[in-house]
Amino acid sequence: MATFELYRRSTIGMCLTETLDEMVQNGTLSPELAIQVLVQFDKSMTEALETQVKSKVSIKGHLHTYRFCDNVWTFILQDAVFKNEDNPENVGRVKIVACDSKLLSQ
Amino acid sequence: MATTSAVYISVIEDVINKVKEEFVNGAGEDVLKELQGTWEAKMMQAGVVNAPIERSAAAKPTPGVTPVHDLNVPYEGTEEYETPTADLLFPPTPLQTPMPQTPIPTPIPQTPIQTPGTAENYNIPTGASDDSGGGNAGGNTELKPGRPSPYMQPPSPWMTQRPPLDVNIAYVEGRDEVDRGTSHQPPTQDFFTMSAGKRKREEIPPQYQAGEFIPQQDGAGDAIPELFEIEICGGSTSIGGGGRAYGKMSACAPKIPQLDGPIPDPYEELSTPNIYNYQGVFNEDYNIANTPAPNDVPVSTPAPVVQNDVGDDDEDDEPPLNENDDDDLDDVDQGEELNTQHLVLAQFDKVTRTKSRWKCTLKDGIMHINNKDVLFNKATGEFDF
Repeated sequence: MATFELYRRSTIGMCLTETLDEMVQNGTLSPELAIQVLVQFDKSMTEALETQVKSKVSIKGHLHTYRFCDNVWTFILQDAVFKNEDNPENVGRVKIVACDSKLLSQ
Repeated sequence: MATTSAVYISVIEDVINKVKEEFVNGAGEDVLKELQGTWEAKMMQAGVVNAPIERSAAAKPTPGVTPVHDLNVPYEGTEEYETPTADLLFPPTPLQTPMPQTPIPTPIPQTPIQTPGTAENYNIPTGASDDSGGGNAGGNTELKPGRPSPYMQPPSPWMTQRPPLDVNIAYVEGRDEVDRGTSHQPPTQDFFTMSAGKRKREEIPPQYQAGEFIPQQDGAGDAIPELFEIEICGGSTSIGGGGRAYGKMSACAPKIPQLDGPIPDPYEELSTPNIYNYQGVFNEDYNIANTPAPNDVPVSTPAPVVQNDVGDDDEDDEPPLNENDDDDLDDVDQGEELNTQHLVLAQFDKVTRTKSRWKCTLKDGIMHINNKDVLFNKATGEFDF
């Protein structure tokens, strides 16, 4: 099963990475095992997003930078507005990193 | 939010359950529990998991609110980070002021004095930039004590730079002197010219004095006087050289030199000061414009001996220039950090563009915006480029 390491940069992924780093440095965890945990996190996070999340969001803003490299789109927006069911969120500057969804289905 | 928290908790549980087998066979289940506990604790600390999580929840009763506040505080700080860039300018000034006081009273006058000086301004901004960066990072605090020395150092390079130009002039003068007076002194004079290169530092200030910066130069001159003494000794050896040195002395530091001032040969002083002033201007522009090459070339051409100094000067010059570049880079880095403050991680189904209008459809995304984590199944984006 293909997975993205993309979500490791999320809050939950960073928390896990920090934890694993600490434990590996303490010697309580082997680096190999830490990597296994990260890979499992990639799978679990992707699966959870597919199955448990139903919300939709619309994003509008000024596109400051766009980049498409290695099948990854990167957008940097200025004065962006995020709208979901709740309330709109205004952000002065946001970065969007998106991998190709077709790579997962293969 | 609750949904996000619930999803995160389920992901944690899922990961822990699926790697449990690996741990049981290897590191042990206790390690796995430690991993889960630390992970969940970090999540709560980050404020993205608010609901009490089984045991961990019990351990840390007040989840959502408190952590969120904590995050808000730092985040606001970071957001302002950019704006502060302007603020960065402000902090430096206060920082600098305390700096000199702490280290040594003597430097204080010099620093302020230098500030007014055109050439010195260059150094000051650098310090300011450092301060700004340091103020943010906090690591610069260590640098503060060191600053006085850095200040001193930068001036030396500047001084050195100017000297080469002066040296050329001085060298010529030396020849004149030789013609006038003793022939055996020529070698000595050459040496003196070398020292003169160092003198130039001292001499340079005088030039500035002529340029109206007198008080500032006095600050620099404090350090210089010592050099003068050395030169004077050399001057004693060679009559002509001595005359020059005195004249320079007078020009540099009104206190001592004034007496000497009348003594030195007016011709030499007149000739040197004019040239010096010219060169001094050159140097100032050079510093500001950052175009070392042209200035160096003329200097090196006249006196080969000086070239060595010039080379050193070039090296000395580079650091400040690089520092500026670094500052710029730092700003860029800061910008990047800011970018990561608001981040969307997702998969894209389609990205299209019509003229400057971009449309994209995303799915399965994690957004970290305004200090909150939001998950989405689908997202549509419309951007103007």
